[in-house]
Amino acid sequence: MSAVSAPRIRQVVPRSRNIEAALLLFVAGINAYELAQVQLSTIQILRSDFWLYWAPLAIASLVVHMILRRKASEADSLLLPIGVFLNGLGLAEIYRLDLAKQAANATDLFATKQVIWTIVALAAAGATIWFVKSHLSLRRYVFIAMVVGIALLISPMLPIIGRNINGAQLWIGIGPLTFQPGELAKIALVVFFAGYLVSRRDSLAVVGRKVFGVHIPRARELGPILAIWVLSLVVLVLQRDLGTSLLYFGLFLVMIYVATGRAVYVAAGLSMFIAGALVASRVMSYVSGRFDAWLNPFDQAHYDAVGGSYQLVQGIFGLAHGGIFGTGLGGGLPQLVPLAESDFIVSSLGEELGMVGLFAVLICYVLIVSRGMRISFTHQDDFSKLLAVGFSFVIALQCFIVIGGVTRVVPLTGLTTPLLAAGGSSLLANWIIIGLLLRISDSGNKRGDA
Amino acid sequence: MSELALFLVRFGFMAVLWIFIFSIIGVIRADLFGQRVVGKATERSVPQVLSTPIIPAAPSGAVSVVSSSAGRSSSIATRLVIVEGEHTGKELPLSGRELHIGRAPNSDLVIDDEYASTQHAKLVLMNEDWLIQDLNSTNGTYLAGARVGTPAVVKLNTPVKIGKTVFELRA
Repeated sequence: MSAVSAPRIRQVVPRSRNIEAALLLFVAGINAYELAQVQLSTIQILRSDFWLYWAPLAIASLVVHMILRRKASEADSLLLPIGVFLNGLGLAEIYRLDLAKQAANATDLFATKQVIWTIVALAAAGATIWFVKSHLSLRRYVFIAMVVGIALLISPMLPIIGRNINGAQLWIGIGPLTFQPGELAKIALVVFFAGYLVSRRDSLAVVGRKVFGVHIPRARELGPILAIWVLSLVVLVLQRDLGTSLLYFGLFLVMIYVATGRAVYVAAGLSMFIAGALVASRVMSYVSGRFDAWLNPFDQAHYDAVGGSYQLVQGIFGLAHGGIFGTGLGGGLPQLVPLAESDFIVSSLGEELGMVGLFAVLICYVLIVSRGMRISFTHQDDFSKLLAVGFSFVIALQCFIVIGGVTRVVPLTGLTTPLLAAGGSSLLANWIIIGLLLRISDSGNKRGDA
Repeated sequence: MSELALFLVRFGFMAVLWIFIFSIIGVIRADLFGQRVVGKATERSVPQVLSTPIIPAAPSGAVSVVSSSAGRSSSIATRLVIVEGEHTGKELPLSGRELHIGRAPNSDLVIDDEYASTQHAKLVLMNEDWLIQDLNSTNGTYLAGARVGTPAVVKLNTPVKIGKTVFELRA
């Protein structure tokens, strides 16, 4: 279009792709280092199955890189390397836990599954970049996204396919395969919220009365907020999962705040959620148990109780064992924590990398989120802005809920650490989110000075 | 492996981890400063280099001149200022190249409202005058209140209305 006559001072291969290639090589080196360190310190030799855990991620990330060169040459250069780094670090730690379990003759191994899911997830990210020509086409599917998102959210509650694992009704299962549809619902709900808020932004922000300087929106504008609130409470009560419901409700509040700039929605929504959660904690033993375990984890009664604070306390002991510099990969005892490879991967890594290493991991998440916010700034239209903010915030909030739960900042809930933890659905959903952010950043950067 | 070797491997990994983090932060830094220095410099240099920009063939050769209340046609506009609508107060620098306006996200000026077309209009520099050309938009482009048919000269400080947005060219 404008390229016909406008003088374009632009390199054939954008600088960002070359930076990405260099960083990806660096990350492949780091992953090799991790795996070698794990093998050397647990089984004292380098075994050939090293390649099984190293090569698939390295090759898959290079394939995504080549797709970016062809289809989204001006996409952000840092998201892919950081994502691959986190994925590889998680894989190395899961493999390390597998080695410890094999030594104890346990059979619940995860590393091979994680390798397969890594390939699937990176393929999905690549396919997202390849087939979604422009993220703006998502705007046509806003109401389909709503239906799909809500269907995914309630599908674990359906009688035949729903599965209850570890007390939470969050999975669907077909035969031996289980899947956590709530993770994919994140993507659908971000698309729906962005599309909905763009069309309703004006009436939400402007219409209404002012009482003592506080903007009070009309009752009918509050309808959808009430609907989302009810939905998140239904998730809380029927699926018995505080984290998931907090994630979706928090996401909605932040997106409505970004769209309207009115803090009254956040204040009203948060107090509604806290009121709902408090009532639930009185009525439901599951929620009150989580709260008690959070407030008094070292109490002997809570420590010994079924579903009590045993896991949380073991995780904290692990973090304390790691100290500042950690025990080194393969040097600690993270296998003592239940679910060390999924919900508690952060405490496993904290034990083996120490505070210094865990901070590096946290900075990676901060960088992903800050890149996402920057991507949203490069766009002029509100749909793109909201989409990028929603995707990056959902990663930020999920990290806060999980890592805050493990380190006893907030009550512990069963969410996965994005890109790091064992679990196919989570890996798949988060890589698709990264793929969409890359796609959004490409069109943001291509328009020139924004 | 010996204790010492494991110790070195352990701290070596910490070093590698943080080198990775700092190389990423280095990229972000280069990004920021690169944009500020290089980006603006090339942008400014474009108008001087381009004395005769290429103009695509206008649909009709006739160019109607709409008189405006103020403005000397000799002075060239250097910026576009939005005076009404969603992005009021926003400015775009005008270089020698043509400027696409519309809902399309790759437009130079994106106007996101229901009354704007995807490819709504474009501004073209010809002989030191900026011309506005309506690209067969549904709701039209209005220059000083009159609907633009053939490409028209936009004088300084003359309101141009597209959808709900009004902008002016200023020196």
